[in-house]
Amino acid sequence: MVNALAPETTERVHSPRATGSTVDGRRRTRPRRRQAVVAYLFLAPTLLFFAVFLVLPLGFALLLSMSRWAGFDLGEIDPVGLDNFTDLFVDGSTFLTPILTNTLLFALGTVALALTGSVLVANCIDKLRFQGLWRTLYFLPIVTTVVAIGNVWKYMYEPGGLVNGVLNALGLGSVAFLQDPDTALPSVVVVQAWASVGTAILILTAGLKSIPESYYEAAALDGAGPITVFWKITLPLLRPSLLFVCITQFLTGLQSFALIIVMTKGGPGDATNVAALEMYRQAFSYGDWGTASAAAFVLFVVVLVVTLVQLWIFRRKGEDT
Amino acid sequence: MIRRRFPWFSYLVVVTGAVLTVVPFLDMVMTSFKGPGESGTLPYRFLPEAFDLSNYRAAIDQLDLPVLFRNSVIATAVITGSVLLTSSLAGYALAKLRFPGRNFIFRLVLSTMMFPPFLFFIPHFLILVHWPLAGGNDLFGRGGAGLTVSITALAMPFLVNGFGIFLMRQFMVSIPDEVLEAARIDGAGEFAVWWRIVVPQTKPVMVTLGLLTFVDAWNEYIWALLVSTANPDVMTLPVGIQLLQDYVDPTRTMPIVMAGLVLSILPVLILFLLLQKYYIRGVMLSGLK
Repeated sequence: MVNALAPETTERVHSPRATGSTVDGRRRTRPRRRQAVVAYLFLAPTLLFFAVFLVLPLGFALLLSMSRWAGFDLGEIDPVGLDNFTDLFVDGSTFLTPILTNTLLFALGTVALALTGSVLVANCIDKLRFQGLWRTLYFLPIVTTVVAIGNVWKYMYEPGGLVNGVLNALGLGSVAFLQDPDTALPSVVVVQAWASVGTAILILTAGLKSIPESYYEAAALDGAGPITVFWKITLPLLRPSLLFVCITQFLTGLQSFALIIVMTKGGPGDATNVAALEMYRQAFSYGDWGTASAAAFVLFVVVLVVTLVQLWIFRRKGEDT
Repeated sequence: MIRRRFPWFSYLVVVTGAVLTVVPFLDMVMTSFKGPGESGTLPYRFLPEAFDLSNYRAAIDQLDLPVLFRNSVIATAVITGSVLLTSSLAGYALAKLRFPGRNFIFRLVLSTMMFPPFLFFIPHFLILVHWPLAGGNDLFGRGGAGLTVSITALAMPFLVNGFGIFLMRQFMVSIPDEVLEAARIDGAGEFAVWWRIVVPQTKPVMVTLGLLTFVDAWNEYIWALLVSTANPDVMTLPVGIQLLQDYVDPTRTMPIVMAGLVLSILPVLILFLLLQKYYIRGVMLSGLK
């Protein structure tokens, strides 16, 4: 989703008419209608797809979110107004706490960990040789299926796994990372951050490269140490990239649940249950399509608000400069 | 930048981070060689006693890897081919052809990227189940399993990609109009202009988009899981390895699963290492992953 709003592309998005007005004048003789027919032929598969797999599903999901339906006969969809939405927020519902809280904690925790790690690593890679090699290494998790990542980490968290092996070797006791409700969510957050650090490093590296060398030279002349340079020059000038990484990772965190399905299925209890997973379970485990669709739209509103905030921040930034 | 001293602190950070990144992969490979009673026991040992391939053979038999592999290849190939074709066609129309409604359609394409994928799992699944006149359904989508009986169900929701269209359009805009106009004057139709001039010129972007799509499609899990629950015959690699875990030799479940995972991620890893320049450019352009 959000990708069209990347800082380096926004400008181009706003000038869709950049091409061909002069050429067009010269081409008046050629029948314009024919070009329009060709254009719609070229676009036909795309438009057909968006009609069936975008517009229709959105309408259908909205209808379902306001209905009760057993899922068999399309003629038996029973409209219930906003009941599904109010049910989500009624007293005793698990949707607000712990599920929505978990979702926010999961997203925030991932962003905090991934951002800290990637700022540190990107800044350090920038000072080394073989930068490409390092980035390739950090990138491996990005191209690996969530099933592999989830299973490997789940196995590493087990009593006989690598993480507890290291803890035991250090003289510490074993931890039941995924079975203990207190450690389950942080443990999953670590894996999600581990898996997304590579992209953040990539984007931050590009940001670092755009900081003019002369700033560093001036700082060196003034006798600034590496820590001062990092806080006073690197971080402030890296702000646009940091903000971008922050928001995109936050959005991804709000929606991700594949890793959680593989590692904990939301358990123990609801300790790692997040909104998207709840939607999935309500629909495909309990067949409650209405509640599930309502949950999906609630999460969508959260995601949309964050997206609009992002759009607003980058628009404003664009006007400043 | 100041590079007078040896950057020992930077080396420390980067190497530590790299070790943390690679160790889970190494643990996966090491576990895939461990024999019965060697994994999950205390104390933890990193290295296996012997490097024999029996777990790999077991994975191929017990996890049904050849079938899973075939399903993954078919779904991935169909998705990648379709995304490349439709993105290139639509991108060309939006970049180089003038027609009423162009701006509206371009905005529509951009807006498709605003909708998060989780919003579509439920309606897409229900639409495929109730697809009229397929899989035993009547005209009103009742009575059968719809399109979920077919392997195409794996690919259907991913055949067109808004980001792909956007990406292709952005690159085609920079192709000079004079070149296209010259070809048109020589009598080439729009289809020939697209195929002979635009497609060859956009090959590097196609590689980038193709690679991004390939990796995403190969690794896709949730949708494939949904379709496979309705029709186990179309399980893909990630889904199959996750679901078939319960059916393998219980004394060495994890080693067999790890062996299956190693085999399943190899194609993508190799492709990524060979073409990483293109892939990394794609991630930069999308900023998403």
